Amino acid sequence: MAGTFATKRLGKELAKIHESLPPGIELVSADNFEEWFLDIRVLDSNPLYLNQIYRLKFKFSAQYPIEPPEVVFVKLADRPIPIHPHIYSNGIICLDLLGQQGWSPVQNVQSICMSLQSMLTGNSKNERPAGDEDFVRGNRLRPKDINFYYHDNDV
Amino acid sequence: MTDAAKRFREEGNRRFQKGDYNMAESLYSQAIIADPKNHVLYTNRAMARLKTNQWENVVADCRTCLGLDPDNMKARYYLSQAQYALQDYDDALKHALEGHALCVKNGDKSMQNLTDQVLKCKKARWDQREKKRKREASDLEREVIRLLEQERDTELAEYTDEGTRKEISDEWEQKIGSMRAVFDKANPQKEPPRPDPPAWAIDDISFNFMVDPVITKTGKSYERSSIESYLRRVPLDPLTREPLFITDLRPNIDLKKACEDYLEENGWAVDY
Repeated sequence: MAGTFATKRLGKELAKIHESLPPGIELVSADNFEEWFLDIRVLDSNPLYLNQIYRLKFKFSAQYPIEPPEVVFVKLADRPIPIHPHIYSNGIICLDLLGQQGWSPVQNVQSICMSLQSMLTGNSKNERPAGDEDFVRGNRLRPKDINFYYHDNDV
Repeated sequence: MTDAAKRFREEGNRRFQKGDYNMAESLYSQAIIADPKNHVLYTNRAMARLKTNQWENVVADCRTCLGLDPDNMKARYYLSQAQYALQDYDDALKHALEGHALCVKNGDKSMQNLTDQVLKCKKARWDQREKKRKREASDLEREVIRLLEQERDTELAEYTDEGTRKEISDEWEQKIGSMRAVFDKANPQKEPPRPDPPAWAIDDISFNFMVDPVITKTGKSYERSSIESYLRRVPLDPLTREPLFITDLRPNIDLKKACEDYLEENGWAVDY
């Protein structure tokens, strides 16, 4: 259950989101202050992501934005998991700004979506992270508690 | 603390945890009889009395506590809450600010609560003043209109022919209409749309109006309670990601003053 600190801030973020969002980002649902869904797509013609829309799930703790939200891609019939060397096939994203150390409380839902858009846009490798199969099979940790090794942040 | 007081207090705490606030209150009372000079017992009882809406009694307990322990932060916080409930917003704000200052001094984690309480009191105080101002304005309007009508009637009484009476009547009708228009302009029936509060007054972490802005090495200001709770977790500047510690923060006095002045005139901005 999100606390008042998170609730207040998310309320204000949501009001702004309802006003306007940058191109390629759409709010799907925000029925409470614990879990939101947004759709994103890339804006250039990168063939890896052309004509695709991806669904993101945000989960907020009572300590948001002191703590990062948990952000993953969700797989649906018409919403695949984007192929990327930092995105596991179960939707878990390896991005330092979403980790305990890399997160900054001045980030917000919109800025995260934009970071993910540019993470996809800038990628040309048609591959999953190393050890994807083992990770997807074996992982029981919550995304934010995984200590990813950010070996090549330029990808 | 005497053994007897300790036993009553511990049992009181247990009852409190279970939500049995009336029983907790009476146990704390027994503890106080056993050890009347112990300030902790008074804040314990004040908390139980807050939960049961006994505002006057909360005020009494907090005052006793502050007599025994003048720098007690909790007593100020509870006192502020009770005074808020009693609609004594000036005192509620005063004690919330004192409680906040004690949190700053002692690095107390309740700072977030006290920051919220300060904003809540400022908003309520502004609402109360606005209401009073509007009431006074409408009283004045009624009074002025009544005087104008009196004047008209006195003048009308001096004439008997219909033509002159109509002329006088029309003339006064116009005057009264103009007067009403002036009052309407000063106090529109419908609230004008509020602008967004200025961006410089809003904390980029909590998105709240700032009460106690502090500035970082890079020159960016945040609400003290927000940035401190983040830095306790990760000691990095939110923008530059360079090392930043709570001890590096400095109060931004001029911004604080500007925020205070703005809220004084625009209390609505608390809930923008």
